[in-house]
Amino acid sequence: MSKPSKKMTLYRKHNLTGWLFLAPGALLILFMSFVPMFRALMLSFMTGVGASMKNCGLLNYTRMFKDTVFIQSIKNTFFYLIIQVPLMLIFALILASILNNRNLRCKGLFRTMIFLPCATSLVAYAVIFRSLFANNGIVNLVLMKLGILDAPYSFLTNMWSARIVIIIALLWRWTGYNMVFYLAGLQNIEYSVYEAAKIDGASAVQSFFRITVPLLKPTILLTAIMSTNGTLQLFDESVNLTDGGPANASITMSHYIYNMSFKYVPNFGYAAAMSFLILILVAILAFMQMKVGDKRD
Amino acid sequence: MKRKILAAVLASTMILSLVGCGGGSADSAGTADTGAAADSGAAADTGAAADTGAADSGDAAAAGGETLTVWCWDPAFNMNAMYEAEKVYQKDHPDFKLNVIETPWEDVQTKITTAAASGDLSTLPDIVLMQDNAFQKNVISYPDAFVDLTNSGIDFSQFAAGKAGYSIVNGANYGVPFDNGAVVGCYRTDVLEQAGLTVDDFTDITWDQYIENGKKVLDATGKPLISMQAGECDLIMMMLQSAGASLFNEDGTANIVDNDTLKAVMETYKALKDSGVLVEVNSWDEYVGSFVSGDVAGTVNGCWILASIQTAEDQAGNWAITNMPSLVGVSSATNYSNNGGSSWAVTANCQNTDLAFDFLASTFAGSTELYDNILPSGALATWAPAGDSDAYGVGNDFFGGDAVSAKIVEYSTKVPSNITGVYYYEARDAVATAITNYINGSDLETELQTAADTVNFNMGQ
Repeated sequence: MSKPSKKMTLYRKHNLTGWLFLAPGALLILFMSFVPMFRALMLSFMTGVGASMKNCGLLNYTRMFKDTVFIQSIKNTFFYLIIQVPLMLIFALILASILNNRNLRCKGLFRTMIFLPCATSLVAYAVIFRSLFANNGIVNLVLMKLGILDAPYSFLTNMWSARIVIIIALLWRWTGYNMVFYLAGLQNIEYSVYEAAKIDGASAVQSFFRITVPLLKPTILLTAIMSTNGTLQLFDESVNLTDGGPANASITMSHYIYNMSFKYVPNFGYAAAMSFLILILVAILAFMQMKVGDKRD
Repeated sequence: MKRKILAAVLASTMILSLVGCGGGSADSAGTADTGAAADSGAAADTGAAADTGAADSGDAAAAGGETLTVWCWDPAFNMNAMYEAEKVYQKDHPDFKLNVIETPWEDVQTKITTAAASGDLSTLPDIVLMQDNAFQKNVISYPDAFVDLTNSGIDFSQFAAGKAGYSIVNGANYGVPFDNGAVVGCYRTDVLEQAGLTVDDFTDITWDQYIENGKKVLDATGKPLISMQAGECDLIMMMLQSAGASLFNEDGTANIVDNDTLKAVMETYKALKDSGVLVEVNSWDEYVGSFVSGDVAGTVNGCWILASIQTAEDQAGNWAITNMPSLVGVSSATNYSNNGGSSWAVTANCQNTDLAFDFLASTFAGSTELYDNILPSGALATWAPAGDSDAYGVGNDFFGGDAVSAKIVEYSTKVPSNITGVYYYEARDAVATAITNYINGSDLETELQTAADTVNFNMGQ
């Protein structure tokens, strides 16, 4: 009789210890992440100027579909998403498979150099890109010296060039970051697989598409979801590089939400509602990517 | 000391790890890093500040609460003014102490919004410097966060009416006006000379004459006369106010669509851009760089721009200032306007309002000595008695020995007053969008209609 009860206490003891270890983190996440999220959800059903808020039901959610600037910001964000994420992931994959080559010298140096951009501050790199593409910046200077341009081209005041500059900046900043994930994924692929393919006469391109890509699928899925999430929340580049301009042509959703909360007459209810739209979009896109990319079950 | 450093390090690692928890994505992980870095820096800073602050207030409590905390942002300009004010006030109140904390305007705005929205005002200082354009918005959004200064013993009638108007909400004064933003036209006399012009050719002129002269300068030297930041409509707002117009009506509704002055302004701006006399740049640094480096032969802006101009020491003696050009075809047009400027507000967190009132009344609203002391930093008074001081008549060698300060004070008295409106920043951004599209060939009426729709949309909470 005493034996099973002792077992129970041991089991419970272990269980309790487990919970004890979990508790601090779980409580912190609960109070610092989930409670604010819930409060934000409540806030998104309210409207009013500054501190005087009143209930308004779903008004904020219907309102955002009539907001031309917000719709513009959604379009811009999706433009970045559709162009930049695939480009970045392809570059990262190519770089990773080049740098995974065993015969390559100075691998560590190259890896570090490509990863280094994402160790820079978001604001600092955005400001540097802004000065690179300024009227008297180095890009214009080089293009003029090469005779491609006669007069400086104002990259950041033209709609399409401003968006493209943001995409270039994002590529520079995040390609190395994704490459590291692929490199880690590549470590798990046996080198003998490649050797076997080589013996069978497969070219480098063939082994990339037939071996590397399929075996890296889980990592590709992970980076795709992370990049999608990151792009939908894009903020620093829009604020610091182009300031959303010209004429809102490069403003992102997060930038507009920030303006709505802190630059304009504060409308936190509406801003919270827009944030929840981003959450919903991220969830839908991640779900779609999982359905398309993950065939494990 | 060692233990304090250890505590600070531990605190920042904790913040780092906490913020790290929240970062689930590529992007937010990145921002989390910078956020954490900023946080720990701020934590250390405010930690230190809180330490000394606590010590101070401890002492001060014994001495009857003689310490005030102030937020402002420019070490060479408004912070310097506060330190000078502290010295002036300390003559009569030896126990008085100021705790001036450097806080950039964007941060001030974010902190006010956060504190007021959460209802916990304890993080706010006693006195805060506020941009005039944001004054209405903040006081109307958060009326409980600021103290009504109307009956504080400060004589507001001695301030320029146009300036004091920024901080009057529903007939009550909420701010003590500080710096002057009277618009000046600044020109490189040596460049003008090459085109056979002098600064007199730019005094009391219209924008049409300005463009004509500008073309002469462009032909002779290849230099534009003025640069402006693309996507910001500083010049538009200056032109509007120079005719006493604004983007809002008295009752707070948007005045954009049938605003003939605004149309004249937009057309003038486009003409400036099309003629090549005005060149648009991407950022503030590039804007300042354009005339400091000598690529652009002048500028039109609030008089605080003189501080930036004077950093180009190699151009000393080659600059002159005069009033701004006036609009053509607008009956109320003048050659005077205002851009920028800020006022001191007392927050509801101030425990010793009597001290704050007395301090402001006997310094920024009562001491010519203070204004004389801060004049070298370019802080020009909007307090009328200060303008009579001899210090304002002294010539400035950078501007060819001209008595620049006296000139600006004179301009400031002629600036037409206009309505800022609560939704100033919304309207400003909407008009900036309109002007960008208009320059690129869109129809003016359609763009103004879109801008008006955007502003009306934002006003319909």
